[in-house]
Amino acid sequence: MALHKDEAIVLFKRAYGESDKIIRLFTLKSGKIAAIAKGGSKSQKRFMNTLEPFNHINVEYFEKQEKGMVRLENADIVETNCGIETSLKKACTAGFFTELVDRLTKERERHDELFQILKEVLQQVKRTELTYMEILYYHLKILETLGFMPNFTDCVYCGNKMDEEDKVYFSSQRGGILCASCSSSLPHKTYQAGVIEKVLSFRKQGREIEDPKTYRFFEREVQDIMEGFMSYHLDVEFKSYRLLKNFVLK
Amino acid sequence: MYYPGPIERLIENLTKLPGIGRKTATRLTFFLLNSKGFYISELSESLLDVKEKIKLCSVCFNITDVDPCVICTDPRRDRSIICVVEESSHMMVVESANPGHYKYHILHGVINPIEGIGPDDVRIKELHERIIREEIKEVIIATNPNIEGNTTAHYISEILKSLDVRITRIASGIPVGGDIVYIDPLTIKSSIDNRKNL
Ligand SMILES: [Zn+2]
Ligand SMILES: [Zn+2]
Repeated sequence: MALHKDEAIVLFKRAYGESDKIIRLFTLKSGKIAAIAKGGSKSQKRFMNTLEPFNHINVEYFEKQEKGMVRLENADIVETNCGIETSLKKACTAGFFTELVDRLTKERERHDELFQILKEVLQQVKRTELTYMEILYYHLKILETLGFMPNFTDCVYCGNKMDEEDKVYFSSQRGGILCASCSSSLPHKTYQAGVIEKVLSFRKQGREIEDPKTYRFFEREVQDIMEGFMSYHLDVEFKSYRLLKNFVLK
Repeated sequence: MYYPGPIERLIENLTKLPGIGRKTATRLTFFLLNSKGFYISELSESLLDVKEKIKLCSVCFNITDVDPCVICTDPRRDRSIICVVEESSHMMVVESANPGHYKYHILHGVINPIEGIGPDDVRIKELHERIIREEIKEVIIATNPNIEGNTTAHYISEILKSLDVRITRIASGIPVGGDIVYIDPLTIKSSIDNRKNL
């Protein structure tokens, strides 16, 4: 058994018995790991309350031979989740991003960039309630980092380069846009010209302000694209999304 | 080793209880088998009773066998204060520490977005209605001081903002009789942030 030192963001916790906790951490050096923390002994009680979702912590843990669940030995706070609890919107947004990372990553796959994005988005959420545009920005950034980005540039089936005004067919199953001829034989949804291109431009430039009516329309359309894509590619139920939709996106 | 069918079945069922392994279940089964008098019928009746007669109080959602529950109908309690807790078991803890003072409201859970639990999945709407209906003057929020409990507390105070009601949150800090040397940094910070005048 070797003692590892790392930093981590807490993705998930559940009480286990009277004094123990089962947690999932997204660590900097080892990616996602599952851990058990035994709160029974006096010395360990001191760090049990750092194991709360959205906390950024330093951890020390013992790795067993089988590479199963690790045993947490110590933890201390780098940055608390303090601020996220102040609004339901913030809590739902933070929950969405941690669940996204939890669901889309495999255990023990190191991912420095993703760690930084998650850290950044949680810091943002602590400060302010994110708009849909900001949520989408980070959502796409995470998908892109993990290689799950939908293909918005060329036909996902035949590979044809496509002009902006032709980008109207989106296939959730294939995870990208379709050209006119491929769309005739593959299931898809049709969107207004410009909507898909906008997602791309948005991803490059970040937030942009525009007239609220166009904005609302764009928001609904993009939400629809992302929802179809996510529900097709995440076979498990995405628990926090329903809340995000009800209380943040509306 | 195989036991006759009915014994196997009882062992099997006892194994489903928390903390009971096959060995203990077997021991309990033989204890029951050898027990005298009315004990077995008394035990099985009480098991059925729990399932049949226990329900949730329609006012506070505490577990009870009469509706409204004895706490809700207790005339000696301050009728203008409600203490909000996560579970019935939490209510018992608060009540035994400070018996006979106020009424309760049991949420049956807390807001937890990661687990997909939102405000509509716990009894928050019912709390809101109660506060208006019963002309409540103070709401003490006694959910756990963790991210879920704190989020729930903030949400409740947010939706009650427009009402003329005092909203208080239980303090979190150094336990009574505790030693500051052994307290974790988050708790120390909380106790300093929530310090009071002397
Ligand atoms: Zn094509
Ligand atoms: Zn009651």
